[in-house]
Amino acid sequence: MKNSLIKVFVLAIVLFLSACGSPADTSSTSTGNVGETPSINTPSQPEGCLGTAETAIVDLGCREVTIAVENAYLPFNYISIQTGEPGGWDYDAWREICTRLHCIPVFVETAWDGMIQAVSDGQFDVAADGITNTPERQKIVDFSIGYIQIQQRLLVRKGESRFTSIEEFAQNDALIMGTQVSTTNYETAVKFLPEGRIKAFEQFPFAIQALIAGDVDAVIIDEIVGMGYSGQNADKLELIGPSISSDELGFVFPKGSPLVEPVNKALESMKADGTLAALNEKYFGPSFNVTEEDIK
Amino acid sequence: MAVKETIEAKQQIASPQLTGAEIREKIRLFPWWTVGLIGVFVLTAHLILTRPSYQDAFNFIRAGVGVTVQTTLVAYGIALVLGLFTGLGRISHNVVIQNLGTLYVELIRGIPMLVLIFFIAFVGVPAGVGLLNQIGEWFSQIGLQLIAQPLIQLENSSVPMTTRAIIALSVTYGAFQAEIFRAGIQSIGRGQMEAARAQGMTHWQAMRFIILPQAIRNVLPALGNDFVSMLKDSSLVSVLAVRDITQIAKLYAGRSFQYQEAYVTLAVLYLMMTVVLSALVKWIERRVRQDERNA
Repeated sequence: MKNSLIKVFVLAIVLFLSACGSPADTSSTSTGNVGETPSINTPSQPEGCLGTAETAIVDLGCREVTIAVENAYLPFNYISIQTGEPGGWDYDAWREICTRLHCIPVFVETAWDGMIQAVSDGQFDVAADGITNTPERQKIVDFSIGYIQIQQRLLVRKGESRFTSIEEFAQNDALIMGTQVSTTNYETAVKFLPEGRIKAFEQFPFAIQALIAGDVDAVIIDEIVGMGYSGQNADKLELIGPSISSDELGFVFPKGSPLVEPVNKALESMKADGTLAALNEKYFGPSFNVTEEDIK
Repeated sequence: MAVKETIEAKQQIASPQLTGAEIREKIRLFPWWTVGLIGVFVLTAHLILTRPSYQDAFNFIRAGVGVTVQTTLVAYGIALVLGLFTGLGRISHNVVIQNLGTLYVELIRGIPMLVLIFFIAFVGVPAGVGLLNQIGEWFSQIGLQLIAQPLIQLENSSVPMTTRAIIALSVTYGAFQAEIFRAGIQSIGRGQMEAARAQGMTHWQAMRFIILPQAIRNVLPALGNDFVSMLKDSSLVSVLAVRDITQIAKLYAGRSFQYQEAYVTLAVLYLMMTVVLSALVKWIERRVRQDERNA
């Protein structure tokens, strides 16, 4: 009797301790990431706070800004295979924005499906994932000004000869299109194809793996992202066809968020002094093909 | 006097007054949970009929019911067969068969269903197709072109995602049902087998006519449970972009941002199907028990 009581007690303690163990959230690990340049000489500033009150365009007073990212969307946010650390255009852009606004960027990894709804519900301060500005989305969230205009195109296996555009693709009933759920890519595909011919995966890497394996015949994707993935698989994939749709990308905020104005001002100043152009060149320009070695 | 007492006694039997204790007993035994469930269904039906946003969601999502039901039925059928043969294999006296069966069960029980679905879809099937292609190559080298050609021409895309999902589901549930069948068979007393052998039956005749019928009757509740469970697990095929009701609900919510309408409708749809299935399984069990008593 006493023996089994002790066993139950020990079991209870073990379960209790494991539940109280280190929580597996990424937010606590990402503020102190990869070469943060903390502010100049204010020792009272909390850790991870970028910029200074004096140089800030709008001083947010070191508030934490929770940024939802997917970490599966080259080149905006992804996990580097080499270092295992998350990085990408969104990470660099938000560190720059917070330097100009005197705030702390806290990146939180989230599933794309439901991200916009989560922001609308106030779960995050902002979402950064190459999100297209559309009227439907504007009903429930606020968008920043656009930071880049992208084209939607078709990603196919190298040497694909059965079609050269989405119109030709649509005419061949045997062909299947791959893409990601809840994206404007999906909505564009629905304009050309019946839903039965579109396979919508949770993340783009799945769709691209399906493309490589032959389960789908093309993936409709933002050109920049397509370039990132075809850079990684240069011998197997290529982008073809003219631009199918032109989209403007922006950050999303909860409706009425006080962050929209400051972030817009920060983006304007980044456009004015060429920082944004340099950032776009680094991640979206032809030199981005070098990323294959960076990531490896 | 005696007649009057008898009449009173008869009246007492004919129209018994319910005591307070009896009423409390009736309240305690009444299936209030059924009332609760029915309430949920009635509320949802009301929402669907009166609100256009719910109507849209419902019309959109129910297009996938066919895929869900079909996936469940096919996967369960395969799992039953797989489970029965593996269960028999595990109690066989043949070393090879017994170890193969045990290996299969232990392997599959160690891998979660979602992981297995991804594994079979992105690793297992491409590897299998590659293997079959290779076998086709060898056949064509020997000269057996008739068999070789279809094998060589087999591609990844010949195996649709639905098939891969069904393979994953049936393989997983087959392992669990192997254990159920094994337990059922082993629960039949040794006397049955001995009596059957004494009658002159072979081992397999005894199995088929004496042991298995009794064993299956015993494990029918567990098998029925598995069926309902598989209906719910069929929602996992949505990660392979198979258009069952879960996937369609996700797509609908993603495009319209009506998350509440989509997921309430989805949950209640599953609830409806599982409740109907549970009732069906209970009915089958009752019929089997009745047959047993009457026999």
